[in-house]
Amino acid sequence: MALFEARGLHKRFGDQVVLEEINLAFEAGSLSGIMGPNGAGKTTCFNVLTGRYRPDRGSVRFDGDDITGWAPHRIVRRGISRSFQIMNLFDEYSALDNVVVALPSVRSRSFDVLHAIDADSEAQDRAETILDRVGLRGRERVNVRSLSYGERRALEIGVALATDPRLLFVDEPTAGLGTGATARLAELIQELKRHTTIVMIEHDMRFLFGLADRISVIHWGQVIAEGTPDELRENPWVRRSNLGGLA
Amino acid sequence: MGQPILRVDGLRKSYRRGLLRPVETFRLEADFTVEEPAVVGVMGPNGSGKTTLFELITGSNTPSAGQVLCQGRNVHEVRYDERDRLAIHYHQSYQVRHFRRTRPAFLMQRAGSDYPIVHLFDEPQFNTQDGYIGFMLDFFRKLRGEGRLVFLCLHPNERFHLEILQEICERFVFVRNGRLTHADSFDELVGHEPVREYLGALLR
Repeated sequence: MALFEARGLHKRFGDQVVLEEINLAFEAGSLSGIMGPNGAGKTTCFNVLTGRYRPDRGSVRFDGDDITGWAPHRIVRRGISRSFQIMNLFDEYSALDNVVVALPSVRSRSFDVLHAIDADSEAQDRAETILDRVGLRGRERVNVRSLSYGERRALEIGVALATDPRLLFVDEPTAGLGTGATARLAELIQELKRHTTIVMIEHDMRFLFGLADRISVIHWGQVIAEGTPDELRENPWVRRSNLGGLA
Repeated sequence: MGQPILRVDGLRKSYRRGLLRPVETFRLEADFTVEEPAVVGVMGPNGSGKTTLFELITGSNTPSAGQVLCQGRNVHEVRYDERDRLAIHYHQSYQVRHFRRTRPAFLMQRAGSDYPIVHLFDEPQFNTQDGYIGFMLDFFRKLRGEGRLVFLCLHPNERFHLEILQEICERFVFVRNGRLTHADSFDELVGHEPVREYLGALLR
């Protein structure tokens, strides 16, 4: 059975259908890609999958539980984390602090956590390990404001990893990145994939086809195609496109 | 088999101008039946009535006369909030409908369907570079295979648009000045002089 499964998701905003019969299944240990043109409904789909919006119809199951309509924080506690297309970082604080405040052990304390952080060596160690994992070793004390765009992306993923998720959703990680930073990010995701099940929305097809085990193509609020990168590449129109030239 | 998947029966839409002595400025007339699931190509110049035809089929526009029956159900008698369970109109990437609500829902019929039966794609963005054409065509085939009716409206301005229509469509409708010409094959379609004129250099 798939670790995560969405069946018959339907979502309407007023007169507009944004999701129509979305069916998706993500296997444990895999990296699943979601791609689609602008306005196809990818982000709405993510928001429904991660609990931000409740679907009008359909169900979402994670590891045996029906989590449809659960509040986002409850879903996070259950083992699903999400990194955002628009970054949610505290610019005035260091990379390390950003990860520390996202740790469940720290979060469960008072709201004035930042003053107590320095004293908590266990939390610091844990955050350092995460930063190391996302390739930010040596950058722990740097203010987020001074990090490069690529480093901030990596940090955003680090923050999402702080809850030690079993399933990580990543929304357009390459948005705004140059070639070099995109290549480093690909390495980072390749590495994360060894321990975490990942679902990634991505615009950059080269990036996605290089990393994903399976890809779902979303358009008109529906899954219009689905398969391994090789299967999708077999389509004659895909072979004729720029995508066809990808190794 | 039971009811045809789509019956467009004596459909007419007139647009008039002037209050005291109204003058008809545009008239669309359509009368045809599609018995079985199919992919139907729709072509025609801008302003010829393609989108009006789609709006009348989805029930977002009210006909002056005639009716649209989707598997036997009169679309214009179905509750506004369920009409897109019969026929859905895709404007490029997203779907917009503005129903003029004139009757309360309890006086109207249910759609009796969860997933739309007729899918009308209004000039989808086709781009040979990004590979999505292949996925979209596969999706049209899938819908047809699952017993749905697909309309693909295109205003061909590049040769590959004709390739797409030839590959995916099994019948065609050419709309010009509010009149429909039907064809059962691409060859029959381009046998019509007005179609040849419309497509012009793309056919050479």
